[in-house]
Amino acid sequence: MNDVVNGPRGGAAKVHAAGVAIRDLRKSYGSNEVLKGISLEVKPGEVVCLIGPSGSGKSTLLRCVNLLEQPNQGSIQVGGFEATHPDVDIDKMRRKVGMVFQQFNLFPHLDAKRNCSIAQTKVLKRSQAEADKVSLHNLERVGLGHLADRFPDQLSGGQQQRVAIARALSMDPELMLFDEPTSALDPETVGDVLSVMRNLAKEGMTMLVVTHEMGFAREVADRVVFMDGGVVVEEGVAEQVISAPTQPRTQEFLRRVLDPTHIDIQE
Amino acid sequence: MALTARQRAKVSLYVQAGIFVVAIAALILATDWKTMANSVFNFGKIGPMFPDIFLVGLKNTLIYTFLGFVVGLSGGLLLALMKLSSFPLYRWIATGYIEFFRGIPALLVFIAFGYGVPLAFGVQWNVTIIVMISLGMVASAYIAETLRAGLQAVPKGQLEAARSLGMPQWRAMVSIVIPQAFKIVLPPLTNEVILLTKDSSLIYVLGLTASQFELTKFGRDGISSLGAGLTPLLVAGAFYLVITIPLSLLARKFESRSARTKR
Repeated sequence: MNDVVNGPRGGAAKVHAAGVAIRDLRKSYGSNEVLKGISLEVKPGEVVCLIGPSGSGKSTLLRCVNLLEQPNQGSIQVGGFEATHPDVDIDKMRRKVGMVFQQFNLFPHLDAKRNCSIAQTKVLKRSQAEADKVSLHNLERVGLGHLADRFPDQLSGGQQQRVAIARALSMDPELMLFDEPTSALDPETVGDVLSVMRNLAKEGMTMLVVTHEMGFAREVADRVVFMDGGVVVEEGVAEQVISAPTQPRTQEFLRRVLDPTHIDIQE
Repeated sequence: MALTARQRAKVSLYVQAGIFVVAIAALILATDWKTMANSVFNFGKIGPMFPDIFLVGLKNTLIYTFLGFVVGLSGGLLLALMKLSSFPLYRWIATGYIEFFRGIPALLVFIAFGYGVPLAFGVQWNVTIIVMISLGMVASAYIAETLRAGLQAVPKGQLEAARSLGMPQWRAMVSIVIPQAFKIVLPPLTNEVILLTKDSSLIYVLGLTASQFELTKFGRDGISSLGAGLTPLLVAGAFYLVITIPLSLLARKFESRSARTKR
């Protein structure tokens, strides 16, 4: 944990923020409807955690926001972009939206610094020197400045995920999407990744996070959204949804997640 | 006689070795060594082959192979991308091309470009161009399949990560997917070069001037001019091994390297 040195960007931190507005979103794979009319809002600077059982559609919803999945119906607005408009410039929109994957998806043929800089030079047309500077700054931000020249296979899972976060941050995103960022990690490295995300939230980053980490959601999220079966079952202030859920499905899910040893005999 | 499993294995091994030794001995005894010494191992008379076998034969084989590989690699990459395209017409064209050129003998392609195209269009190409195109077009078909497999072996998450950073499809392919695919296909690609080296000998069907001879043609020419029987061809064959064995070792090195690290 010592190497997670953080804090707001030195001096005047400029806070970028783009909100998300999702209205009546539907997505099917063949006859299987995964999202059944989802409406959800994330205000600029807000941190929203999506929780729910696997197969509830939360990852699909997240992937729709930067159009890794094409929704069938409904609308998504990201910052100034109408993501679901047929003429939207997807690449331009995605520059504003950082994405962190469950499996990290670092580029294995590039070292940590180049992982962070390649899109800066190729997409944002920054000079290599400038891109390197930004990359190093962001690697330091996630506590990995000293490992900038390591390749992904020389890093632990938690370190790889932190490089992946630095890579996304290097594009100066206004919104960060996290798709179960700690689910593929060894338990002892989860804390480092969560602490990086916590600092990011403190700095005012707009974040939409799919997670099973209830402690993180309760502590960091402004709001928690519980999804099940392709619909939003319950949403509200983090503390309220997690500690005092009103819907039976939410209650049951949280009982199982918070106490994994609990066995429901009636089931 | 009850043999244990280990004894049985031992006996079987001795029998196999025995058969091998007997076969070799029979071959040696059946050979007419006097004639062989005259017309296959007649190394006393091949002096005139040197140094031109290096300066002409080996050089031209290397040049033809290299040009064929460059065309084959570019064409193969294009075909592989077409085959993976979401646009059906591209897929059909690529599939048709690959099946056609893998399905006919390379020799026919040489004849088609050496004699057919000049007849059809009234053009007279230089031999180097003909070899480059015929060898390249055949190689494209094989290399395309190798590259397609390599491209598909790169995890889908790589493309998603690149696209999520705002890279357009082509940029994500060029900077992220293709470099990784090339590392995966380096061993099979090296084997393609070996095949190409040997296929470059098919140029013998074209009319060549002496300075255009590659190894095989150079050897055949020696048969008629040196009076050493087939010996010049044996020498030419040895020169192919000088090219192909190092390539083969290189392929094995790539293989063990990619097995050790994913990088």
